[in-house]
Amino acid sequence: MIRTTRTAVCTAAALAAALTACSAPGESGDSDKDSSGPIKIAVVNAQSGQLSSLGDWEYKGAKLAIDEWNKKGGVDGRKIQVKLFDDQGDPTTGTNIARKLDSQGYVAMIGTAESAVTVAMAPILQQAKIPNITSGQADALVDVGSPYLFLNGPTSTTYDATLAEYLVKDKGHKKIAMISNNGSFGKGEHDAFLKAAKDLGVTPVTDQVVTTDQKDFSSALTKIRAKKPDVVFIGSEEVEAGLIVKQARDLGITAPFAGAAPQGTPVFIDTAGKAAVEDTIVSSPYLSNDVSAASKKFAAAYQAKYNKAAELHGAKAYDGTNILLTALKTSKAATGQKLADAIRDTRYDGLLGDFEFGENGVGITKTTIGVIRAGKLVPQQ
Amino acid sequence: MQETLQTLVGGLSLGAVYALVAMGFSLVYRTMGLVNFAHADIAMIGAYAASTFYLTSKLPFAVAMIVAIVVTGAIGLVIERVLRPLENKDFDLMLIGTIGFGIVLQAVAILIWGTTGRAVPSPVPSAPLELFGVRVRTYDLVVMAVAALAVTGLAWFLARTKRGAAMQAVAMDHEAATAVGINVGRSNALAFSIGAGLAALAGGLVGPMLYVDASLGGALGIKGFAAAMLGGFGSIPGAVVGGLAIGVLDSYAAGHFQGYSVLVTFLVFTVAIMIRPMGVFGERTVSRA
Repeated sequence: MIRTTRTAVCTAAALAAALTACSAPGESGDSDKDSSGPIKIAVVNAQSGQLSSLGDWEYKGAKLAIDEWNKKGGVDGRKIQVKLFDDQGDPTTGTNIARKLDSQGYVAMIGTAESAVTVAMAPILQQAKIPNITSGQADALVDVGSPYLFLNGPTSTTYDATLAEYLVKDKGHKKIAMISNNGSFGKGEHDAFLKAAKDLGVTPVTDQVVTTDQKDFSSALTKIRAKKPDVVFIGSEEVEAGLIVKQARDLGITAPFAGAAPQGTPVFIDTAGKAAVEDTIVSSPYLSNDVSAASKKFAAAYQAKYNKAAELHGAKAYDGTNILLTALKTSKAATGQKLADAIRDTRYDGLLGDFEFGENGVGITKTTIGVIRAGKLVPQQ
Repeated sequence: MQETLQTLVGGLSLGAVYALVAMGFSLVYRTMGLVNFAHADIAMIGAYAASTFYLTSKLPFAVAMIVAIVVTGAIGLVIERVLRPLENKDFDLMLIGTIGFGIVLQAVAILIWGTTGRAVPSPVPSAPLELFGVRVRTYDLVVMAVAALAVTGLAWFLARTKRGAAMQAVAMDHEAATAVGINVGRSNALAFSIGAGLAALAGGLVGPMLYVDASLGGALGIKGFAAAMLGGFGSIPGAVVGGLAIGVLDSYAAGHFQGYSVLVTFLVFTVAIMIRPMGVFGERTVSRA
């Protein structure tokens, strides 16, 4: 009731003052976040550069969710307006975008898939009180400690603890080799897996670190081959991981690879080649489009809209966007602190699992193990 | 020992590609005194074009490569034509122009092929050869052979043909060359299109080794540029030596310094350039800037 009155007053004021935004005195910082008209949500993700495929998947997932909500009438009678920003996978570009989101009155942000960019943007978004649901998974995101930062999936620690447990306890592997890159994702994976393995009493037989733009892995892979490992842990993004596995097979390494989310993607499988990735062990909260009724429905809608098969990143962004929109609905389109609280209180049964956010902003603390068979990721039997 | 040899083999095959990129840089610099900063992005377009004709149009890989070279050669002609009014007038603007073309080419690639990129399966599916415990991919041998052929062909063209000799003459003194009736514009256009063709050769060949997307130019360009500098900018043999050197250096740095390999590669490169600013085969004959 109070809100409706305020809207009416605002509308009148807006008419009178033409371009002047409507807000009470003292709220000038929120002047653009008016409570009429469409709700502005930003999707920030790489649309160019090496991580653009991730950004593309993320955007597709988020857009699908928003379109579905808009078709049902939006939130609180208001349409949801989404705009895509290209961060080029670059933290500096990201911080510039964060300032733009603040000045242009966006109420929330979806993205990015790149932890380093998200970490760079977090302080500005926290100051501007713009909640962000990120697809990053590095533990560094939790370390930021921003009450406005939420993860739409598990952290590296969850991915790799599950993976290490499976490899050591279920499979009984003792000779584990590691190869990871020194980027923010790779380093996060490296630290998380190493800790998990050591906690289980296994020290890797070799621990190779490569750079994010390296193209030739002969040296590292020859060292790994010499150790004759049972399994090779890989902590690297899709394309580089694909190149590593391809070169490993050419060098005669026959041990299976094991990794987290990137190793379940089509880009990884295509880059390495189907034969090379056979038996790759993947720890992921979203194994395939056929696991549940919800994932089947999501995959069908995704296929119909984009004429492409859905995968983890699209599903993650879809879940994250749905959580945000649900929170907007329950909080009657609140912004800032209230919206962040509403997100934290949201219980959501999503494609990746049951979301229940802790104080640290992490909503999912479980992954499952899958295996690549004939070029497809399937649940481990 | 085995690791050392394996690292060498890995470094040489990518080094051959860097050498091709460096040759394109050098050829344009040699004839025009201009560093073509769009060069690496032309290589990326070449890689996309080759992969499209190979995967989508189902042409044999060699044919797809030739078509890609023709396509990028044409792009080279366009770039030269646009920049020609600035020739001998505003050199800095020409340089910035090439940077601009690079950005345009990346945007065009995203428009045409999208953001996702593509993996190109190896056109030579046979298993790697095993020699004394070192495994050599058959495709790497093909890459090295094609690169060697391109080097020989270009050297022959520049030294033995009339048109090649004319290009060298333009490089030494374009006014004198004009006076004896050599068409400088045409010579520059030729240099640009051959350079672009070499870029496509490098990009097309590296496609099955790496992954083709709009950022491929960045990966090839910086190493190719460093290779050209190291060998001596403008020198064709220098480009070859520089390319192989950067490839091998990169591989060994990766083995010994792991995460710090990029730093080490470029530190070594910087020291080498400080000791010998002209590069290994460098000579200051080109100074049209």
